[in-house]
Amino acid sequence: MSDGAGRRTFLKTLAAGSVVAAFGCDSKRAEQLADQAVPAGIDPSELNWGKAPCRFCGTGCGVEVGVHKGRAVAVRGDEKSPVNKGLLCVKGYHLPGFLYGKDRLTHPLRRQPDGSYQKISWDAALDLIAEKYGAALDDHGPDAVSIYGSGQWTVFDGYAALKWIKGGMRSNNLEPNARLCMASAVMGFMTQFQSDEPMGCYDDIELTDDIVLWGHNAAEMHPVLYSRMLEAKRKRPTMRIIDLGTRRTPTSDYADVYIEFRPGSDLAIANGILYLMLKNGDFDKAFIDKHVVFMRGIEDVDEIGYGCFGDQAERYTFKDKGRRSNIDELRTFLADYTPEKVSAISGVPVAQIELLAKIYGDSSRNTLSTWCMGVNQHYRGTWMNNLITNLHLVTGKICKPGSNPFSMTGQPSACGTAREVGTLCNRLPADMLVTKPEHRAKCEKAWGLKPGTIPSKVGYHTMDLFRAWTRGDVKVMWVQVTNPWQTIPNLDRIGRNWKDDQFLVVSEIYPTVTSAVADLILPSAAWIEREGVFGNSERRTQQWNQLVAPPGEAKEDAWQIIEVAKRMNMGHLFPYTDDNWHEEMYEEYRSLGLGTGKDLASYEQLRGARGLRWPVVDGKETRYRYTAGHDPYVKKDDVHFYKAKKYGEKAAFWLRPYHAPPEEPDKDFPFWLCTGRVLEHWHTGTMTRRIKELHQAVPSAYVEMNPADATALGCSEGDVVRLKSRRGELDLSVVTRGRGRPPRGSVFVPFFDEGRLINRLTLDSMCNISKEPDYKKCAVSIERV
Amino acid sequence: MRCQHRARLTLALLVCTAACGNSERSANGVASKSAAHVRAERRAYDGAPPVIPHDVFSANCTACHNEKGLLVPGVGFAPNMPHAKTVGVGKQARCTQCHVYRKTEETFRDSLFAGLHQDLRKGRRHHVFAPPVMPHATLMRENCQACHTGPAAREEIRCRHPERTRCTQCHMERTTTTEFPPAVRRTD
Ligand code: SF4
Repeated sequence: MSDGAGRRTFLKTLAAGSVVAAFGCDSKRAEQLADQAVPAGIDPSELNWGKAPCRFCGTGCGVEVGVHKGRAVAVRGDEKSPVNKGLLCVKGYHLPGFLYGKDRLTHPLRRQPDGSYQKISWDAALDLIAEKYGAALDDHGPDAVSIYGSGQWTVFDGYAALKWIKGGMRSNNLEPNARLCMASAVMGFMTQFQSDEPMGCYDDIELTDDIVLWGHNAAEMHPVLYSRMLEAKRKRPTMRIIDLGTRRTPTSDYADVYIEFRPGSDLAIANGILYLMLKNGDFDKAFIDKHVVFMRGIEDVDEIGYGCFGDQAERYTFKDKGRRSNIDELRTFLADYTPEKVSAISGVPVAQIELLAKIYGDSSRNTLSTWCMGVNQHYRGTWMNNLITNLHLVTGKICKPGSNPFSMTGQPSACGTAREVGTLCNRLPADMLVTKPEHRAKCEKAWGLKPGTIPSKVGYHTMDLFRAWTRGDVKVMWVQVTNPWQTIPNLDRIGRNWKDDQFLVVSEIYPTVTSAVADLILPSAAWIEREGVFGNSERRTQQWNQLVAPPGEAKEDAWQIIEVAKRMNMGHLFPYTDDNWHEEMYEEYRSLGLGTGKDLASYEQLRGARGLRWPVVDGKETRYRYTAGHDPYVKKDDVHFYKAKKYGEKAAFWLRPYHAPPEEPDKDFPFWLCTGRVLEHWHTGTMTRRIKELHQAVPSAYVEMNPADATALGCSEGDVVRLKSRRGELDLSVVTRGRGRPPRGSVFVPFFDEGRLINRLTLDSMCNISKEPDYKKCAVSIERV
Repeated sequence: MRCQHRARLTLALLVCTAACGNSERSANGVASKSAAHVRAERRAYDGAPPVIPHDVFSANCTACHNEKGLLVPGVGFAPNMPHAKTVGVGKQARCTQCHVYRKTEETFRDSLFAGLHQDLRKGRRHHVFAPPVMPHATLMRENCQACHTGPAAREEIRCRHPERTRCTQCHMERTTTTEFPPAVRRTD
């Protein structure tokens, strides 16, 4: 290697001499052109390439980052990664750019009385946080402290936060933004299998015959997975893609069948499919008898509510109560969901409902259902999760390569951190709950804490946390890797009163609308500026090493938490050595899941691998959970739902009815409003907008509208209109020929633009079980300005 | 059939005219920037997917960016696509997963990002008469001719024997940067 340069010069001399002469004059011209062009490049062999998972979506593509002189200068898709096999999407290809925005935060900043920010030292900053948390605990108790984190936290950050707040401060007010994102999927899996996360994996894409996407715009939200679907279809033209949605998206453009339904009526459609399958004799009786129990919960809409009206607008604590049901009761229950009735509710033609029933009921074809925010951000999100999984339970199309209900995560470590570490107000690592004495005891023992240290009282879920913050009941909040002042629905409800006794800390890499209301801003190290572990949608745990130095004094989030804990005499929670604390912390965390079916790979193994899917037993990953021959915990011959002790180790089929949405278009507010992401931007755009190519592709938010509606309103492409809901208003320019095409009476607005905060209009209604808000349905009016 | 074909060509012509209006060519049709410069401008770094340098005009990119590329006399050339095999063509190609249009020239915030430049030095050869080793990876670039032949090929990398289509028969991809240990002469 050391003589590389010498060798190159040697070759160059050779090339300039005899070779050129040998091949003629063309080369001379080429030589001149090469010499006059852009500055001489770096020899690719001078780059150091390191592996990392992509920083953005829940697909979890593997990338290799090219580092030159301490800076990331290129990425390439990791051909060794089984997730993406070398391919990325436009966000992934532009990853390194997000690290180098000129306005990176590089020093702790303390807000001054005049609203300006002054640099302070790390020592002063950490002392101040410790003092604020200490004072809140002394004066108001554990309910007054909180941490609000993220599905973009690494496992280390989430685990440090969990241990500190639950085992140190003795509070359960720990929430991730994954509450706004994956909570309904968590509750779906928990209510049916008593263990979170899917049984299947991405391999299903290549093995299935029919993919049914439920309100899942995979082409934009999981681009690499969608291209895997398209590639599978190219190779096997008999494969079909069925897209169910409330507007046409780029996903619909490539689908074989597009089925458009009225917002919220997916509940009726799923029941309609069950009705037809039961009628047609498509239920797999043998599978049901062996593996399924029937359950029924509370269905009274008045008792449940929507989490945003009346008393529920301050606190929403509805709890479902299940009782055993049976197939005869199901038959009576489904009588309400004849194709004609479902068609009337959903606007879907009877023929399409029958087609769906045929697809799910066809035992000769594999079926894969996928979903993400359309189903999860739903006023009955857990119910929808239950219903889709029900379709697979009654047909036995589950735990089989090619046939599974597969919930996709939005964030890179929504699974790895939020769900597996359990950074939620009711959870502990590896599916454990704070309400279960034996789970608390297990953690206390592993952490060397006195019995009774971890509190059993469930903390505030995200929506109630911000409501409590606004009331002033929560005194201190630390926000990391997320931007709630842009993403909480019905945004104007949450606020900051500068005269109050509250303290808000924000760990960030750039100034955001959230850091703008912080008392203290801490500069964070991002992605490859520190060591990390993420877990993606298919249970794949991926590790990376630090590849470049963070800018200025930026530090990783886990370090920030540990340093504050030490200052509060809680250093005993983090008894790791200085130079190997990541591995030691990970191994301690991992010990909590070993032997439970949630076994993660060892740190040592992760270092060398392109991620491994848990459970990892004897160094071997698991592609299909609960399945003989795949899952090492299954000793029986076919399928065994061994985690569902409550249901006799069977899966629970829940009867779930249709409920109308909390707010529907009317005379005053005649349009549906749906919000979401676009391919080019990640969440609130704080990273992707700082990447030139991505910003220039989608520079600002807009309102996507049906051309007929635009004509009726007297406006056309590019005109500015005012959207109003019962909660707020916003001016946006009209797009009628965009990538998505909403039906008449429906509009779509992306949420990435901090200059155009669409969440000022959205409704804070929630799933009754998961408490995940619904960003997809509320009513607005539109007028020209 | 013929009619349809002609209609498509006309559309493509129209579109290319519109698209190439703001290209790097000056009024007299002479390139004002080197091809390498233009190439660099369209990429965040060498290896990044290029942004689309013209307006949106068809949902089906591969109608013009087809197997051979489409030459529109006097207007410009829609280069062929180097990865038809990996990502497919026509209705099933999802080009905008990686290639995006520029809607504005403005930036949101200033950036200090400096991407990898293309290495324009000559590729390595084992000896003077050996065929050069490929200086880049072939992933997503399995159709060598897309960049190395035809009107879109930069002069300095233009292949002088396009009739020989089995490129990898002679040109190897360098998959490692470490050298094979040199042979040691036996002295006994
Ligand atoms: S699909 Fe998701 S994980 Fe893959 S490159 Fe794109 S943003 Fe990153």
